[in-house]
Amino acid sequence: MTKNTILLTPRKRAKRFGALEPKAVSSRAQIRASLPEVGRDTLWISDDQGLVAQLLKSVHWPTRRLGRAVLLYKPPVETLAALADCFERIAFGSMGSFLPSEELAEVLAARNRGDLFIGGTVDRASETVSLWRGNLDSLVVPFSAFPPSGDKISPDFEDFAVTDYGHTIRLGNYEAAGDAILYELDPAYRRRKTKERLQSERTLGASIRRLRKQRGLRREDFAPLAAKTLARIEQGKVNSVHGKTLSTIAKVLGVEPAEIKTY
Amino acid sequence: MPIELPLPKSLSKARWKVKIQEKETREPPHVSILRGTDKWRINLRTGGFMDRRPKPSEVPDELLEVIREKGNWEWLCRQWDAKYPDNPVSSVQVKDDDEEHNSVDAT
Repeated sequence: MTKNTILLTPRKRAKRFGALEPKAVSSRAQIRASLPEVGRDTLWISDDQGLVAQLLKSVHWPTRRLGRAVLLYKPPVETLAALADCFERIAFGSMGSFLPSEELAEVLAARNRGDLFIGGTVDRASETVSLWRGNLDSLVVPFSAFPPSGDKISPDFEDFAVTDYGHTIRLGNYEAAGDAILYELDPAYRRRKTKERLQSERTLGASIRRLRKQRGLRREDFAPLAAKTLARIEQGKVNSVHGKTLSTIAKVLGVEPAEIKTY
Repeated sequence: MPIELPLPKSLSKARWKVKIQEKETREPPHVSILRGTDKWRINLRTGGFMDRRPKPSEVPDELLEVIREKGNWEWLCRQWDAKYPDNPVSSVQVKDDDEEHNSVDAT
């Protein structure tokens, strides 16, 4: 959960960002009053260039970092350096390039926000899609990472949106899975997912399979147990393995039944 | 068109979605169940959940019944096969190293 969210807007929009329980700030006086309370864990959200300019005027330069910021507008190039000094991370773009406000708030507040996308932009000149994640990390994806699918659906880069609470990158009728993009382009994500998969394999079935492989045995070597049955056990498709079956497996593997799970 | 299984109003109102998405070339054939910031995947070959988190038990039985209804299941398999002809649902091989190991029985 993101702590300490400040919604910098002259409009009454706090309700839409309810998932973050933001503090609404709409004047220079309120900005000044807020500054002593902000820190690295503060998340700023603003749809108002004027108020962000007031914020930049209110800090003492060189400034300490004020947290992270989501700017729902395109900031002028001239302010980018100041914004980069002020915030640890910034995501920015026109309002339409982000998730709808309610979804955006829910993703920013989510435990798995780093695995979800909140918005992005398409650059036809460089043929890249730049995506913002819920932790405000960016990810640049080349057009070539969106190949047409077998049913002849091709990405339409003129019609971009992040949808489904950040799970989907929509390019016209082409809906790319966000996790597939992360798996392909973020080595840290890929390593984490592989680790999770290996950990989830600490099941009886996975242990049997590992042991069988270590012993150089085939499933057919476990007669009278059918190879098909052993396959189902290894794949975790059998909820509870009968004691007699487990003894047969353990005997062929040369271990005690109770020890199998320790492998 | 995006592949999304039509759901009864009670489920769609509760924000549940069932989709086959693009770019899933590295995974076994599956459908994605989406609700808010959570996502579950069901293997179209085995019928089991592919991940332990979020907990499969969080998916309501009513939704699983809709997905596993014969006509819907066959439709989803056909849609997958059309989208991923190089990795069709029917191409499962019961061979050691090609198998998926982390499926979780949904029932």
